[in-house]
Amino acid sequence: MNLPQASRSIEHFLHAYAMAPWRAQRQWIGAILLGVIGVGMVAALYLDITSQAAIAGRQIQNMRDDIVAMELVNADLQSQLAQATSSSSMEKRARDLGYEPVKPADLQYLPVPGFVEPQPVILATAGGLRPSAASVAPEYTESLFAWLGRTLEASAENRTEAR
Amino acid sequence: MRSEYNWRSLLIVALLGIFGALVIVQMVRIQNSPEAQVFRAQSALYGRKLETFHPERGAIYDRNGRLLAGSKTVYEIGVDLANARDKQAIAAAVGMVTGKNSENLYNEMENPPEGVRYLVLADFVDTSAAEQLKQVMDSARQMAAPGQGSRLQGIALNAHPQRDYPEGELGSNLLGFVSYEGRGYFGIEEKYNSLLAGNAVQVWVPTDPNRAIELPNMPTGTTLVLTIDRGLQADVEEILGEALSDYGADQGTIVVMDPRNGGILALASSPRMDPNDFGSYGSIYHNASEFDRAVSMPYEPGSVMKVLTMAAALDSGTVVPSTPFMDTGAIQVGGAIIRNWNDEAWGPQDMVGCLQHSLNVCMAWVAERMGADTFYGYMNRFGFGHLTGVDLAGEAAGRLKVPGDSDWYPVDLGTNAFGQGVSVTPMQMLTAASAVPNGGRMVVPHVLSAMVRDGRQYSVPIQYAGSPISPETARTLNEMLAVSLEQESSSALVPGYRVAGKTGTAEIPGPYGYETGATNASFIGWGPVDDPRFMIYVWLERPSTSIWGSETAAPTFSLVAQKAILALNIAPDSVRKEIAAKP
Repeated sequence: MNLPQASRSIEHFLHAYAMAPWRAQRQWIGAILLGVIGVGMVAALYLDITSQAAIAGRQIQNMRDDIVAMELVNADLQSQLAQATSSSSMEKRARDLGYEPVKPADLQYLPVPGFVEPQPVILATAGGLRPSAASVAPEYTESLFAWLGRTLEASAENRTEAR
Repeated sequence: MRSEYNWRSLLIVALLGIFGALVIVQMVRIQNSPEAQVFRAQSALYGRKLETFHPERGAIYDRNGRLLAGSKTVYEIGVDLANARDKQAIAAAVGMVTGKNSENLYNEMENPPEGVRYLVLADFVDTSAAEQLKQVMDSARQMAAPGQGSRLQGIALNAHPQRDYPEGELGSNLLGFVSYEGRGYFGIEEKYNSLLAGNAVQVWVPTDPNRAIELPNMPTGTTLVLTIDRGLQADVEEILGEALSDYGADQGTIVVMDPRNGGILALASSPRMDPNDFGSYGSIYHNASEFDRAVSMPYEPGSVMKVLTMAAALDSGTVVPSTPFMDTGAIQVGGAIIRNWNDEAWGPQDMVGCLQHSLNVCMAWVAERMGADTFYGYMNRFGFGHLTGVDLAGEAAGRLKVPGDSDWYPVDLGTNAFGQGVSVTPMQMLTAASAVPNGGRMVVPHVLSAMVRDGRQYSVPIQYAGSPISPETARTLNEMLAVSLEQESSSALVPGYRVAGKTGTAEIPGPYGYETGATNASFIGWGPVDDPRFMIYVWLERPSTSIWGSETAAPTFSLVAQKAILALNIAPDSVRKEIAAKP
């Protein structure tokens, strides 16, 4: 086969390829498949995020129940401890151990340089802030549409103010 | 051949399309059917649930961090009527652990209020009874036939907090108590009820986990730190109990205050009750003013008032400590004769002698010299007839009649000067007299030292209630009262410490004049004189072994002062002088 003949054959093949009916069919099938895959991916992503959010939400609910239960137990234990160390029970234990109330005449006072008289108890020090629902930014709680609506509203308001 | 394939393909596409369309039509139809409305209503019902939250009520601590009021866990026993399988068995089990009549419980379940699905059978059930019921429920579950529910199915146990006072009766008069409904009554519990809060709240809670963020954040109540010293409080209550017994007094009150800042260190009043058993309130007290006599029960204080009469006289320049007075045993004021406590004449005296021998005649003379305007002006500045502002519920203002009042007579000037014809509370007396050990400045008494909220502690600042007398007057009177106690060799004296104070023995007014042979014995005092750290008020009602304050209230003061000295770590005067003398 000489060169012109080969060139014609290639042109013929390309023309036949361009004119093949299955080729057009494959294009729109590909487009549909692409759409289906896209929708599938979005759906899978949505399902994944939704399920994760639901699991996290359930965990929050459970943890909140646990906190309430633990606070109850904590208060109960504090009360039991206070009962065990109450004035009357401590006095009884001290007397059982052979101790007696001190008499003023038995006391000896020693001057201690730098002694500071006891001050009322400090039960709490300034700590960090407690996280609360109000401190979570709306971007983390609102839907896409709500966010879009809010953003559009905000930009519209900004434009109005600018005028 | 090719057109045949096309036809078949089109048929399949059409069938699938019709099927899809039918599915969509059916979906739309179901979603808009009447049944769908019912399902939507049901889902809305299950989409949220009504829950009762019991936020913890704020705890109450003493100045050293000892818990005075906290919370303990109790249980509500209820039954889900729709799931209750054997109501008789449930009634028997709940009746057994709670002591309730099982027949009544069964009737309650059989005839519940209309629309009620969950019925509370018992509440505030203690932990041991609840544990017993849990064991019975476990046994019933194990005994149940395979595939069948337990006979006790439907019982629900819900834990919630209840106010608990681990110290029992200790400090009950100033703490008050909390009812089943969560409302504070009397003392600190009532005064700071809204701060302590922690009341049960019913809230609709979303069950949808995606709406977990909407769960309400129930803040717990504010924790309070009091100025009370638990150890001293216990000692003072013990001393009061012994004083009532030793002197045969009907009731009594002792208050210990720090005169520098008004912080109440101990407050004992009789009778006391265990606030854990607040149902006993009605059988212990006849009226609300009996709960905390220190703030709620005004009385005629008697000669302790002479401290303030003398303060007014010194401050107004009416007298000086050396002003002479010839006591003839009687004086006429406003047309009435006023006599001394022993109806005797005490001869020549100065103002220290007048205080030392507690001479009514001398005080009436001093008040007359001062004049009604000056005298009542000072009494008003001392706060008589007004509330002190102490942070305890149920404070009474007492009564000070003044010229111009329809029931004031000129003789009242004389009698008021020695504490008769005027009614005050022990807290008012402490507040007024605090000007003397505190350099002329009166402090506002208070029980709250600090509040703890959101992890932060807020201290309560000191408040002053004015300066009715000058620092010079305060110093002079302080010395006069200390000398008068020393010269009298009073039973109020405290070994090793110089104290100042005044006794009071007051007649008790009745419907037909003053009662015979019955008195109110009082003592007000403070120490150490050179640097007052404690101030004590003692009031014994109707002591029977002796009617005199000098023989009942004064020795009680001494005992309380000795305990206060230990609690506050106050070295004897000699040691403190030695330390002060060192360079």
